[in-house]
Amino acid sequence: MKILAGYLVLLLLMAFATVPLASLFFANDILGSQTGGTTNSLSFWKDPYLRQVIYFSLWQAMLSTLLSVGIGLFVARAFAHAGHFPFRSVILGLFGLPLVVPAVVAVFGIVSVYGSQGWLPLGRDLYGLPGILLAHLFFNIPLAVRLLLPVWNAIPQQYWRMSSQLGLNNWQLWKQVEWPALRESLPGVSLLIFMLCMTSFAVVLTLGGGPKSTTLEVAIYQSLRFDFDPAQAVILALLQLGLSILIAVIALRFSHLPDVEPNFAIHNQAIPYRHNKLLSFSLILAAIIFVASPLLAMIIDAIKGPVAMVLFDRSLWIAVGFSLLIGLSAAIIATTLGWLLLSASASKVYAGNKRIAQLLELSGSVVYVVPPLVIGTGLFILLSKLVNVFDWAILIVISINGIMGLPFVIRTLGPAIRQNTLRYERICNSLGISGWQRFIKIDLPLLRKPLGLSMALVTAMAMGDLGVIALFGSPETATLPLLLYQRLSSYQMPQAAVIAVFLLVFCLLVFWLLERSIGGKHVKN
Amino acid sequence: MRLFNTPPLVFILFLSLFSSATFAEDKKILTIYTYSSFTSKWGPGPKVKAAFEKECDCELKYVALEDGVSLLSRLKLEGKHTKADIVLGIDTNLTAEARATGLFAPHGITLESSSLPNEWTDKNFLPYDFGYFAFVYNKEKLKNPPTSLKDLVENKDGPTILIQDPRTSTPGLGLLLWIKSVYGDKAEEAWKQLSPRIVTVSKGWSEAYGLFLKNEAQMVLSYTTSPAYHIIAEEKNNFAAAKFSEGHYQQIEVAGMIATSENKELAKTFLTFMSSEKFQAIIPDNNWMYPASLSNDKLPEAFKTLIDPSPAILFEADDVAKNRKVWVKEWLNALAK
Repeated sequence: MKILAGYLVLLLLMAFATVPLASLFFANDILGSQTGGTTNSLSFWKDPYLRQVIYFSLWQAMLSTLLSVGIGLFVARAFAHAGHFPFRSVILGLFGLPLVVPAVVAVFGIVSVYGSQGWLPLGRDLYGLPGILLAHLFFNIPLAVRLLLPVWNAIPQQYWRMSSQLGLNNWQLWKQVEWPALRESLPGVSLLIFMLCMTSFAVVLTLGGGPKSTTLEVAIYQSLRFDFDPAQAVILALLQLGLSILIAVIALRFSHLPDVEPNFAIHNQAIPYRHNKLLSFSLILAAIIFVASPLLAMIIDAIKGPVAMVLFDRSLWIAVGFSLLIGLSAAIIATTLGWLLLSASASKVYAGNKRIAQLLELSGSVVYVVPPLVIGTGLFILLSKLVNVFDWAILIVISINGIMGLPFVIRTLGPAIRQNTLRYERICNSLGISGWQRFIKIDLPLLRKPLGLSMALVTAMAMGDLGVIALFGSPETATLPLLLYQRLSSYQMPQAAVIAVFLLVFCLLVFWLLERSIGGKHVKN
Repeated sequence: MRLFNTPPLVFILFLSLFSSATFAEDKKILTIYTYSSFTSKWGPGPKVKAAFEKECDCELKYVALEDGVSLLSRLKLEGKHTKADIVLGIDTNLTAEARATGLFAPHGITLESSSLPNEWTDKNFLPYDFGYFAFVYNKEKLKNPPTSLKDLVENKDGPTILIQDPRTSTPGLGLLLWIKSVYGDKAEEAWKQLSPRIVTVSKGWSEAYGLFLKNEAQMVLSYTTSPAYHIIAEEKNNFAAAKFSEGHYQQIEVAGMIATSENKELAKTFLTFMSSEKFQAIIPDNNWMYPASLSNDKLPEAFKTLIDPSPAILFEADDVAKNRKVWVKEWLNALAK
C-alpha cells in the first residue's frame, strides 16, 4: 500500500513536469499555428551567450550554495551548542522569514543595507557577483540553519555524554559525532539551496548589474514572453531540469545514511557538553545581524510610509485571505504528497533497496526547477481546451505551489520519517499496527515537530509567491505579494514598503502558529 | 493538532469562490484583458468600470495580466477561443505582432479630437493614452543633467543611470529603440560607451525606479510624466525629466476588439467611450500618462509643468516586429562582455 502510494506520487510528479512541457512544446500544433510562434530551429544552441548564461547560472548557484551551507552549518552548530537561551524561538522564527520575502523587496532591503546610501555601503561594487551572493545568503543561510538544526537534536543523548567522558575536544567532537550525523542531510539541503539559487531571477538580474550576469530562468522567460517561442522555452527548461538532475545525482552520491543503531531515547535537551559559549554566541549574533539588517531596513521604510492608510484598506485584508488560503492549501498538498513519497522511500530503505528510495526522493526534490511560468503556460494550453481556466485559477495556483513546496517537505520530514521507519517498522509489523492507526499512534506524535516546520516553510514560500499567481491573475484574487507589486508599479513605493512589512509580520505569526499548533508546545527549537 | 480539522473548511471556501463566478447572469458581461497596474485600485481601472457601467447596462469584467507583453502571449495561447472581448494595454511596439494573430476586428471608429502628435491610421487599434520615455533625476542632487541622448551616451563623466532589460520590460525595449533611432548602425558602440555608467539593468520598471528612489544612481529610465506623480500625489517638486534635444521615444497604448467576440456591439460602445472625456479625464492622474484625446486645457496643472518632449520618435510597428530580435542581440553583444 505504502509503496504503491509512493509510486503514484512519483507518477503524478512526472506527469506534472512532463505533460505541461509536452503541451507547451507542441503548442503550435495544439493551437493551430496562426499564432506565429517562430523558429523551432535549434540555432540558439550555438549562441555563445547561452553558454555564458549556463556557465554563470551554475557558477553563482554553486558559490551561493557553498557559502550559505558552509556558514549555515556553523551557525546551526552554534545554536545547537548554545542550548536554550532567551528569545531562541523568536530568532528561529525570524530565520523562517526570508522565504516569504518577494525578490523585489529583498533587493530593496539589500540595497538599503549595502547600497550607496546604506549602512555598509559597497557602492557600485554591490552590483555583480557580490550583490547576488549577499541576496542569496540572506535568503539561504537562515534556511540552512532551520534545515540543519534538527540534525543535532537527533544525535542521541548518550553520544554527548560519552564524548564528554572521553574528553573529546571540539575538533574530535565534530569529526566523530556531528559530521557523521550531518552527512545524511547535508547533500539534500545543499541541493535544495542550489536549486533555489539556480532559478533565482529578479535578484540575479537586478543585482547582477547587467546581462552578463543572468540565469537560464531569464532566457526561459524571454522565450515565452517577448519571443513567444514555446518550443525554445521547453528546451531551455529541460536543459535546466537536466542540469539539476545531474547535480542532484552527484549530491546524492555524497549522501550517506547513518549506519548508527536506531535509538529510542531522544529528548532534545541542551547538549551536555562543555563548549565555547563566547564563540557560539558571537556566531549567532553575527548571523542575526546579517539576516535582520535588511529586514530592519524594510521596517524603517515601512514606518516612514502611510501605515494606517494601507492597513485600513479593504483590499489588503482580502489579499490576506487569499494568501492564507493559497499558503495553507499548498502546504497541505505538499506535506501530504511528501509524506506519501517519503514513507515509500523509507520502506524501501528498510527493505534494503536504496536505489529506488533515492529515486523517489529525487523526484520530489528536483521538480522545483521546472519554472512555474513554463508549467503554468503548459497547463494553460492543456486546460483552456477543456474548461474555463479562470474559474480554476486558484486551484491551479495552489497545485503548482504545492508541488513547488515538495522539496522543502522532503528536506524537513525526510530524515525524521526514515529514522522513524528504521526504529518502529519491525515493532509495528510484529504488533500488526498499520495504516491509519499507525499514523495516528506512532508516526504523528513523533513527527509533529518536523511536520510543523515543513508546513510552516511551504506556507511561507507559497504566500510569498509572485510567479505563479501573476500568470492567472484576475483582479479579484490578488494576494499580498501581488498587491505589493501593483503598488510598486503605480509609483507607490512607500505603500509597498508597508505591505512588505505587513507580509513579514503576518508570515511570522502564521509560522509561529503552525509550528506551535502542529509541532506542539514542547518545541524547543 | 487543531489544524488538521481545517482542510475541509479551506475547500469549502474554494467552492464558494467558484460559485461566485455565476452571479449577475441577466446583464451582458464585457470582458477586458488588461495589465494589472491598470486594474489595481490605484490605477484607472475601477473608475473606468464605474463610469462605463453607469451608461451601458452591462458588467465590465477585467482579467489582469502582468504587462502588455503577457497580454499578447496570452492571446496567442488562447487563439480564437479567447474569452476577451477587448484587449487594452498593448503598446505600439507590439501592435504588428498582435495584428498578425488575426484575432482583432477593425474598430471602424474615426478618432476625433486626438491629442496625439502623430496621425492615427491604425484600423485595428485605438489609442487611449501615450507617453515618452525619459531619464528622470532629482533636481537637488543632479545640477547639470545631460541635454541630449548623445550627451548622456558620450560624456564619460556623465551621470550614472538605472535602466530596464529590453528582454523583460517595455521601457527597456523603448530605450533600445530610442538609441537605435538616434545612432542607427552605431548603436552597439553607443551602448558600449554608455555601459560603464549603467549601475544595473533591472527586470522591470518598478525595480529600477525603486532603486532610483534609494539613490542608487543619478538618473532612471522612466517617463516624462513621472514627475507629475510626485507633484500631485506627494507634493514633491524635486523630480524632473531631462529634455533631450533629439526628441523622446514615444509609447502609445492601445486597445482593440476581438473578432470572435459575441459582444461586438458592446465592445464598440466601449471603444467609443474610451475616446470620450469621461474615460480620458481619468487617465492623467491615475495612469500617469497623457490621455490620447483630451484637450490640453483639461490636463491637471502639474502636467503643464512637464518638459516638452517633441519631436516624438517612433519606429513603425512592422520594423520593430521585424528587427527586435536582432537589435536585442546587438544590445547583448555590447553589454554582456
